[in-house]
Amino acid sequence: MNDDRLEEILNSIGAEEIPAEVRRIAQDASNNFNKFLRQPNQPAKPSLLELIMRSRTTKLAAAAVIIIAVLLGLPFLPKSTSNITLAGVLERVEQARAFMYKMKIEMTGSMGQNMPAMDQNMEMTTIISNEFGMKMETTTVDPNTGEKTGQTTYIIPGEKIAVTLMPDKKKYMQFEFGDDLFAKMKKQNNDPREMIKQMMACEYTELARSTIDGVEVDGFQTTDPTVIGGVGENVTLTLWVDAESWLPVRSEIDFDMGEKMKVHGVVSEFNWDLPVTAEDFNPVIPDDFEPMVTGMQMPKISEEGLIEGLRLFAEFSGRYPKKLSMVELAQETMAFMTNRDVPEKIKEKIPQARGLDGDEVMKITQPLQCGFFYMMLVQDKKEPVYHGESVGPDDIGAVLMRWKTAQNEYRVIFGDLSAGTVTGEQLAELEKQPLK
Amino acid sequence: MKHSERLELFENVRARYSVFLTSVLWKLTGDKELFTEAMQYSLFGIWRNVEKLKGEKAGAYIYRIALTANSKAWRNRVGRNGEIPNDPIDPGEDADERLDRAEAAAIVRREISRLPKKQAGAVVMRYLEQQDYQAIAEKLSCSKAGARSNVSRAMATLKSKLAALV
Repeated sequence: MNDDRLEEILNSIGAEEIPAEVRRIAQDASNNFNKFLRQPNQPAKPSLLELIMRSRTTKLAAAAVIIIAVLLGLPFLPKSTSNITLAGVLERVEQARAFMYKMKIEMTGSMGQNMPAMDQNMEMTTIISNEFGMKMETTTVDPNTGEKTGQTTYIIPGEKIAVTLMPDKKKYMQFEFGDDLFAKMKKQNNDPREMIKQMMACEYTELARSTIDGVEVDGFQTTDPTVIGGVGENVTLTLWVDAESWLPVRSEIDFDMGEKMKVHGVVSEFNWDLPVTAEDFNPVIPDDFEPMVTGMQMPKISEEGLIEGLRLFAEFSGRYPKKLSMVELAQETMAFMTNRDVPEKIKEKIPQARGLDGDEVMKITQPLQCGFFYMMLVQDKKEPVYHGESVGPDDIGAVLMRWKTAQNEYRVIFGDLSAGTVTGEQLAELEKQPLK
Repeated sequence: MKHSERLELFENVRARYSVFLTSVLWKLTGDKELFTEAMQYSLFGIWRNVEKLKGEKAGAYIYRIALTANSKAWRNRVGRNGEIPNDPIDPGEDADERLDRAEAAAIVRREISRLPKKQAGAVVMRYLEQQDYQAIAEKLSCSKAGARSNVSRAMATLKSKLAALV
């Protein structure tokens, strides 16, 4: 685009007339705000929500930000008892510079037929600092023996590395990650900020006021599976927020993975004002720790990573994964690792992988990055559709996968793993074509 | 300052700048829902900062408040579904041309919301409000050369963003 075109666009925006309806909306918003400011300081009324609800086109989520800000700015005004909204909670949470929470996860059952049961309990303490990064201390408990194993992971965005220390094994791992991965890691580690954003993008209901550990809380609940990127089914995510401070107190999640595995998670013990220093996020690797694998690249959660993963999967098996949801993909990938249902050429590779050579392990598990990318597309509501069951590497012009990138615009990965951008009409034509 | 004094000041500022706010926020958003959000953020911004809006710098503050409100409204929208709202379309135009123009305008608006505040202010005043560099410099509290530089950097950023998307 040249300067003239940009100037033309800007000038045309500048020349736009203000529609009468917009003037009316502005007037309504202004009048409502003014009335609100002039309301007497009496308990139980007015409902702050009412201020915003009078404006017909206002979105509740955005309005809540105003409401909470007004509350913070005008402490002499009465607090309504029913006006906490997720957007308001997010606004409060985003003011925290460093915070801590604990997460407990219980997994029971197996992910599918012929898969071993994976009963496992995990506890994680996470510290997040906007300035310094993330630190996660994880303890895994074997429910049969009660044996605990621990590890600590540091994510240092400035250096684009993640370091995991495993004191039980006296080993450590170091990963490198790309520019966008830190944000995505937050989603996968139940960062409450990301969880609230995901929840806001879903249909959710408000629950009746309750009490947790003596604190009055308001609840929000969603059963939309996209809140966890389609990783599981029968999802219920509940968030409880302190009715006074509007900060999260507890969240609970339940979902099923695969045919038989059930997952139950609780996030609690938040500390929203945690003093931290850079040293808290600096991994100190003891001299006697050995590197488990070094210089590994974290999976690329991108179109490039998707294509790499699909190519590798096809190279091993002669076909693409049937599904890209994490559970099905993990099952198919695990088949490689356990020598089930894999071509002879892969069997030759498996013993090397069992030797835990870093490159080989990553090559074997690299197809999982397709799943991460697919999960991200689901979470971002980009409507991904994948045809791995019917499209193979020989179906050159067939649509293997597609997702929405803009209005009437789709990104398409074809059977030969070439990629392109098409309109909705073009996509419809492409998807009509019979497979070759 | 007493609550009643703040109210009176707020009312004066609101009366003085409501036409300007409506105009600039509509140009920056081009979408009724985004506009409503941005307008509410602006009103709240004015209320919070009303003591600062008495002197000569009031106009410059109002610009900053409007630009911040616009950025917040866009962040909420883009964060929710990643989609850009469409402009109203003139039924007399060719369909492709309409779509191109509306999408390009929406992309430009979104990218303005992501510019640093001074650059956003500079490009809005220069192109959307057709102000001269002297007026822009006064509102940005910088020299004329500084105003030109901010416009220039904003245009370069917008151009590169659009080039990457088009």
